[in-house]
Amino acid sequence: MRIVNPSFGLEEGSENRSDAADAGSTDWSRDAIAIISNSKPNARELLEGVRDKMSAHRATDNIDYFFKDSAAKPAPDALYAEVAENYKGAILALAD
Amino acid sequence: MTDLTESEVIEVGELDLDQWNDYAAEQGWSDGFPLMVPTEEKVERMIEACRGDNEPFPPMSPRRVAPTLQSIAANAVMAGCKPGYFPVVVGAVRAVLNPDYNLHGTLATTHPCAQGIIVNGPIRNALGINCGSNCFGQGAKANATIGRALQLTLLNVGGAKPGAMDRATHGSPAKYSFCFGENEEESPWEPFHVRRGFDADESVVTLLPSEPPHNINDHASTTAKGLLKTIAGTISQVGANVISGDAPYTIVLGPEHAQTIHRDGWTIPDIQQQLYEDSKLHVSRVSDEQREFYKERTTELVNDHYYLSRGPEDIQILVAGGPGKHSAYIPTFGHNDACSVRIKQG
Repeated sequence: MRIVNPSFGLEEGSENRSDAADAGSTDWSRDAIAIISNSKPNARELLEGVRDKMSAHRATDNIDYFFKDSAAKPAPDALYAEVAENYKGAILALAD
Repeated sequence: MTDLTESEVIEVGELDLDQWNDYAAEQGWSDGFPLMVPTEEKVERMIEACRGDNEPFPPMSPRRVAPTLQSIAANAVMAGCKPGYFPVVVGAVRAVLNPDYNLHGTLATTHPCAQGIIVNGPIRNALGINCGSNCFGQGAKANATIGRALQLTLLNVGGAKPGAMDRATHGSPAKYSFCFGENEEESPWEPFHVRRGFDADESVVTLLPSEPPHNINDHASTTAKGLLKTIAGTISQVGANVISGDAPYTIVLGPEHAQTIHRDGWTIPDIQQQLYEDSKLHVSRVSDEQREFYKERTTELVNDHYYLSRGPEDIQILVAGGPGKHSAYIPTFGHNDACSVRIKQG
């Protein structure tokens, strides 16, 4: 029996994909890092806790905090651009 | 087995209906109810109803692959749709793919919202879409299967798998299917789609990420003022996503309530203004911790009240249902817009 695949979809064109950063090129011991909250409650506390823990191993004056206006909406393009331009890595808080 | 991410048509072997349903469940294609078999012949009959609709679809969140007419039709067949329903399903898919709808947010959220489908125009009667008694409930094949087809498409093409990318804490029964038509024949006002800029003879589908309807019972009030007080009081709840005040929500007036409000001379803008003002929440009803959270998220406090939408025009008023002194409040996800699409028929 032949069926039409209900999960079939066309892959997004490669021209629409942003160039993924090569995580291997980031020096997590000193590069500038963005910590980015999804704006759920306690995300900021979690990320700032991570930054505090990192202070035992590296300088943290170039680890900067960002957040979205709403947990339910995508981050604005300007935020992506700012992070891409100024930071070598990012740590995201994704869940509740 | 054939790689499911590559093949639009796949060979599944000889399966009877029970075996097919077991197979489909193993693939993660099922919503829990029995599924029809999306054979090439059945899918082709579905697509015949949409001939000429060649506009490509954008990628569907969260999986980020673009559906095809064939894959949407396969889900419509599985849902039990008749071919004539398919243009409504396609219109609904196009509506949720409008960026203003915020599909990714509605599917990945812990909130229980479903995709609420409102149908207006001549196609309601042509397809037998229930706009009257029990229009949110069981019994009408068109309502049940059109809503189900959209949900299955989001599950299978979009990848909104419960517990994986669909992170709803509880979900809701509306996530099986949520589709109804406006009872234009018993509405004393212009049809909902006409107020949204369409012609009365056009058929239109409007999508809004919606909680299941909350009943508004008022058997006693015999004036517009009394009924609107009851309705505003039902909307005015702590703990609803609409407290973010950045999205539309829906009030479905039962025909009897609508007639009373209209008899007293109220227009739709009058109703919207009254509900906007009277549904605002006093800050004393909100916990200290929630207040802090809203303050950080820029939800505005105006004279010690939270407004539950951006303005009166966000309150979508329509008429549906049958006899009885009931109306319904349909809260939304809260970070989205309503999106309407003209239904193209082949």
